[in-house]
Amino acid sequence: MNPKKPLHNLLAGMFLTLTLILSACGGAPADVPPGELTGTLSVLEWAGYDTEDFWIDFKNTYPNVTVSFEFGTSDADIYAKMAAGNQADVFHPYSGWLQFYVDEGLVEEIDTSKLTNWDKVSDSHKKLGQIDGKQYFIPWDIGFTSILYRTDKIPEGVESWAALLDPKYAGHISMWDDGPGAVTVSSYIHGYDETAITDEQLAAIKEEWIAQRDSNLFYWAGEPELQEGFRSGDVWAAYAWQGSYALLLGEGLPVAYANPKEGRNSWMGFYGIRKGTENLDLALKFLDAKLAEATGNNVVNLYYYGHPNQDVMSAVTDPLLLEAFGLNDPNILANTNFTPNLTAEQRDAWTSMWAEVKAAP
Amino acid sequence: MTTPSRPSVTSPIPRTAGWGRAGWGLDRRATFWMLYLPPLFWLGAFFLIPLLLMFAYSFRANMSGDFFQLWQPSLNQYSKLFATGSYWRLLGVSTWMALMISIAAVVLSYPIAYFLAFHGRQRVGFYLVLLLVPFWTSYLLRVMAWKIMLGTEGVINSFLIYINVIQEPLTALLYNRNAVVLTLIYVWIPFATLPILAALQRIDVSLFEAAADLGARPIHQFLRITLPLSLPGVFAAFFMVFIPTVGEYVTPLLVGGSRGSMYGNIIQDFFTKAANWPFGSAMSMVMLFGTLVLVAVATRLINLRDLLE
Repeated sequence: MNPKKPLHNLLAGMFLTLTLILSACGGAPADVPPGELTGTLSVLEWAGYDTEDFWIDFKNTYPNVTVSFEFGTSDADIYAKMAAGNQADVFHPYSGWLQFYVDEGLVEEIDTSKLTNWDKVSDSHKKLGQIDGKQYFIPWDIGFTSILYRTDKIPEGVESWAALLDPKYAGHISMWDDGPGAVTVSSYIHGYDETAITDEQLAAIKEEWIAQRDSNLFYWAGEPELQEGFRSGDVWAAYAWQGSYALLLGEGLPVAYANPKEGRNSWMGFYGIRKGTENLDLALKFLDAKLAEATGNNVVNLYYYGHPNQDVMSAVTDPLLLEAFGLNDPNILANTNFTPNLTAEQRDAWTSMWAEVKAAP
Repeated sequence: MTTPSRPSVTSPIPRTAGWGRAGWGLDRRATFWMLYLPPLFWLGAFFLIPLLLMFAYSFRANMSGDFFQLWQPSLNQYSKLFATGSYWRLLGVSTWMALMISIAAVVLSYPIAYFLAFHGRQRVGFYLVLLLVPFWTSYLLRVMAWKIMLGTEGVINSFLIYINVIQEPLTALLYNRNAVVLTLIYVWIPFATLPILAALQRIDVSLFEAAADLGARPIHQFLRITLPLSLPGVFAAFFMVFIPTVGEYVTPLLVGGSRGSMYGNIIQDFFTKAANWPFGSAMSMVMLFGTLVLVAVATRLINLRDLLE
């Protein structure tokens, strides 16, 4: 009937052959054994997270793929770099800093059917990486924020976040250099709804932290700086993540990690894939390997952070780690506040508030 | 100038005979561009264009939208900046600190330069190397060394406790503005010494002989000859310290503590901790403009002085 049909078939056949040849040359993901897969993947990371411990499964499975790292100094820095058109395939934001990537169209939705380790992640952790019901991020490193204190200097213990603003410890407090962090602490103390801070509340928070400045020795930006403050005995109480607690406790320093009556704060690190990356397949493989067991064990045992792979966490037996994660306390998660996502307006208002605290007379 | 006279534009000497041919067969204009273009390109690509971008960014309403796009110019950032008194005050404090630091650095480096210029003799090269030895290590390390000096378990406190002057360590040494000022003066002294030294070395020694012959005492020689003739170097040193110090942020970050922030720290925070480049850009522009005005006024005053003398 159609005289053009044979030509059509021929063209289709040629196209198919060509596709097969091309895909064989280009390394079709499904057909090439992992060991022979080549390519380059770039990751926008935090300094120190480029260590092979943190991607050992990927390294071992795909030894011929080159992974290059570029670093951001903070969530804001990483976000600004991605917004400015950074070409990293994979990036590493933390709780609170996810929404804008979706709003500005910077992140690819993740096809979780391609992740072999996805089933090992608990639903509650999966949910934290979802925005508007879609899985844009995979959860990766998990930690607490609470008050770390020297038990020899504060023998009475710390029971509330208010200790960070207590003039009793003047000259020996160290707050994290971060506006949203300060808003979180004040919200816990005064029972504000962190997702709906009013202008009046923000003004009160500003005044509170301006007054706190006289008691605060220094704002810490990097954890080593804070840890050094504890070792030298200058810092007695600080806003801190549990990695610092586990490290200093391991060194034999008399420190404790408070269980404040308002609850600890909990945060999580995520990986996202840049929208429009040409390395989507490699990026998915990288994320999948991030969730694998050997990598997870390193996160937990070497760096004292939690990992979303439940097999990894249920295998933890080290009492020091159980203590740091609060794994032996059945109420710890019920008494923990997860960091909510910031909106762009909150981000601007809260960081400006903090800048004004630091600039205040 | 004692060099052979150069062919001027109107010179009857043919171009080909000029110094510009330099053996490469290039005429003067080509040589000029060859030497001029690379630095021009460097400055343009890595200084002027980023500065212009920053200028443009300061008129952006917020960070949302594509990074490179045309946006409706907005005075949003400037109006917010003008409304926030604490930033203005901090700019004033930073300028004042920079002024104090520059004066102290110049006053302290003058004797060093004087010694090198008039008493260094054949060992002047060796002394200069000694002066510059600190630069062989990282700037951060040198600032960290001050933490070791000033900390509660630091060198000064340990020594004072050891000789029983104090019982408890002094906490007022580190983590405040004084620590920032002290550290920055230390950091700048070697820099400030160099232009003063250069100015002192240019002074014709016969002037001192003439002054001595006319009965001037050493103090008069210094006040009437050495100091006035070295003033260009002194001013160069002053501005070399003053201008970067107004926007300084690394040193306050390390030794300033909670109350030691300078204007530069706030700018840095808006770029790296707030993802608010438009506001950080507006703050930078205000500082740039302020510093330019101050320098323009100062050079005006100095020129007037030169004219009067």
